[in-house]
Amino acid sequence: MSNNIVVFGGDSHPELVAKICENLDIKASQVELGKFSNGEISISVRESVREKDVYVIQSGCGQVNDAFMQLLILISACKSSSASRVTAVMPYFCYSRQPDIPYTAKGAPVINQPGRNSATTQRPGEDSSFKSLNSAIKNTISLERKGATADAERVQAPSLTASKSLSRIPMIPGSKLQNSHTNGDAEDLFNAQNAGYKLWVVQAGTLIANLLTTAGADHVITMDLHDRQYPGFFDIPVDNLYCKPLSQNYIQHNIPDYEDAVIVSPDAGGAKRATAIADALELSFALIHKERRSQLLKGPPDATLTSGGALPVSQRPLVSAPASSGRDVRRSSSSSSLGSLASTESRFVQTTMLVGDVRNKVCIVVDDLVDTSYTITRAARLLKEQGATKVIALITHGLFSGDALDRIAASEIDKLVVANTVPQDETVKALGKDRVDIIDVSRVFGEAIRRIHNGESISMLFEHGY
Amino acid sequence: MANNNIKLLAPDVHRGLAELVSQRLGLPLTDCVLKRDPTGEVTFSIGESVRDQDIFIITQIGSGIVNDRVLELLIMINASKTASARRITAIIPNFPYARQDRKDKSRAPITAKLMADMLTTAGCDHVITMDLHASQIQGFFDVPVDNLYAEPSVVRYIKENVNFDESIIISPDAGGAKRAASLADRLDLNFALIHKERARANEVSRMVLVGDVTDKVCIIVDDMADTCGTLAKAAEILLDNRAKSVIAIVTHGVLSGNAIKNINNSRLTKVVCTNTVPFEEKMKECPKLDVIDVSGVLAEAIRRLHNGESISYLFKHYPL
Repeated sequence: MSNNIVVFGGDSHPELVAKICENLDIKASQVELGKFSNGEISISVRESVREKDVYVIQSGCGQVNDAFMQLLILISACKSSSASRVTAVMPYFCYSRQPDIPYTAKGAPVINQPGRNSATTQRPGEDSSFKSLNSAIKNTISLERKGATADAERVQAPSLTASKSLSRIPMIPGSKLQNSHTNGDAEDLFNAQNAGYKLWVVQAGTLIANLLTTAGADHVITMDLHDRQYPGFFDIPVDNLYCKPLSQNYIQHNIPDYEDAVIVSPDAGGAKRATAIADALELSFALIHKERRSQLLKGPPDATLTSGGALPVSQRPLVSAPASSGRDVRRSSSSSSLGSLASTESRFVQTTMLVGDVRNKVCIVVDDLVDTSYTITRAARLLKEQGATKVIALITHGLFSGDALDRIAASEIDKLVVANTVPQDETVKALGKDRVDIIDVSRVFGEAIRRIHNGESISMLFEHGY
Repeated sequence: MANNNIKLLAPDVHRGLAELVSQRLGLPLTDCVLKRDPTGEVTFSIGESVRDQDIFIITQIGSGIVNDRVLELLIMINASKTASARRITAIIPNFPYARQDRKDKSRAPITAKLMADMLTTAGCDHVITMDLHASQIQGFFDVPVDNLYAEPSVVRYIKENVNFDESIIISPDAGGAKRAASLADRLDLNFALIHKERARANEVSRMVLVGDVTDKVCIIVDDMADTCGTLAKAAEILLDNRAKSVIAIVTHGVLSGNAIKNINNSRLTKVVCTNTVPFEEKMKECPKLDVIDVSGVLAEAIRRLHNGESISYLFKHYPL
């Protein structure tokens, strides 16, 4: 390896940095990363970077904003120290999801009202909800630090109702507490959406891209970006590597009789990703579709939206487990009872249906990113209900925030296969060595860095991995 | 005041200053939702239309999770920008990373410059700040920066709360001499300086007092107090030199690390900070803390900026 390459690692994933450097047969360069007592980041670069080709490796995990700022400052430090080119290597690209609605710790789309200012009129009885909101927010923050408790969820529930009082915010009633509201709520909801201002959530993608450019990044290497359009936000080249060749390799070598397995996409958004693997390996494919439809029917709605768990296997799409909120899903009661529960208590029902046949098959659920793990555990349960013999989850970025790992441990997922773009020590600890397999992506990143440094094509990595 | 085209935005935590400013201006804070999802990423939405409005985003960046605050601010600015706001003004009284403003050693990042670039990139059209650590930071920006001074507020505080006939203004280091001298001139007081001889960074070795403080009430003036180690040592030296009592007036009371312990154990009678940094909780633990409200200055700056009036009046005078 030529000697004008310099690799710096941020503190988010030192293990991967070491592995990538090992693959490149170089040593990670010396950089001192720290924090001042007031929380500001201090960085001191210990090696000369003048006219060097610099690679800064930082995954967007842990304390995301700290990690991202550290990356930006490190890039800026290298750039202002006359590095010839600075490449940001972000195995997991933070802020790559661009939600339409804010996420909560539960993964359910809920919009919280963080606090009303004193100048606006307060409705009677709103004070109490305001307090519970504050505690809900605090709890959400504590959830981030893996202190998830049932209490937090209980407090989260009132926030649903409270946010309703802010009529501008469209929201999906999903909690049992909606029951206490009068019939006018659904109308309010639609009026709020049809008239006046519709709430929207900022899409931070372009901002994050521009911040990287501003800091001085000349090139970005990442893996399995959630949005395929994301590289378009940048003014600099972005190399989006794929985990797919590695995943395929894993399926072929580690899953016995993989020819009979079914590739499953846990939601419609991931269908393309999953079909790509299914096509390449000539496997059959199934799709789980989440549908949130408003239920405007009067009377008991069980007739139209029956639960599929009790139905015999049929060719038409099966409707199963109307999961009105993540909380309900966690109860291990049968899906049919859940169906009636949800449908009587809320006007919106989330139905999950499986398209495709999985009976007596090994299912490989493919997703690019798992965060709260509600989607994937729900999918696993549905697949088992539909007669799958084994459920294997194949994931690129396993963020597992909050109590996601506990949920997976308790779920029907028989094996979790996850890439090490984000540190997975906790995962292995929580699930045990036998239940988790780690796909090592360091070779792909190492090879990509080598090829980019030498000005060779990297498109071969897209198809074949390394 | 035409309040139909001005909008005040504030993040959901540390809204204290923003609420005071909002009360001063008689304008409600705009409803907005700022949340962090379980992975720590920030999601933000504004509760009402800001199209063609004059946006003022008021933040208080304190100690601890500075980077989260910074990204929240950037995302709020960007949200307003993409929502077609006419002009976005970020009010950052305590400018983060202000002390990393130069290459003090090889390959050190000039993070203050990066902050300036990032704010501009996010779409900020104007910045209002207060008592910048180095006023040269204004030059890092491609957009106008108004660096307000806490001095008029401090002058008012001293006149109202300190028996200033027998006071003397102290600068705890040579760098702050200019600030202290200017304050001394305004109050027509004497001025003394503590000279620090640094052995290593972050380690105060020997302090020498220049000037006479016998039987005086010493007012130490500084722009920032972090762990308060320097302040405690300065108080020690002043009292050893027969000062009557020592109080400290600091613009940005970051008060990180052992600050509260240091203050409580020190011989300082009082530590006064402005509310550019949120420290309400710390006041409970430390009876020596006192606060100067600068919301009036900020509110007046917003009003003047919005109406296209001169701001320089505020550099010398406290608004009524």
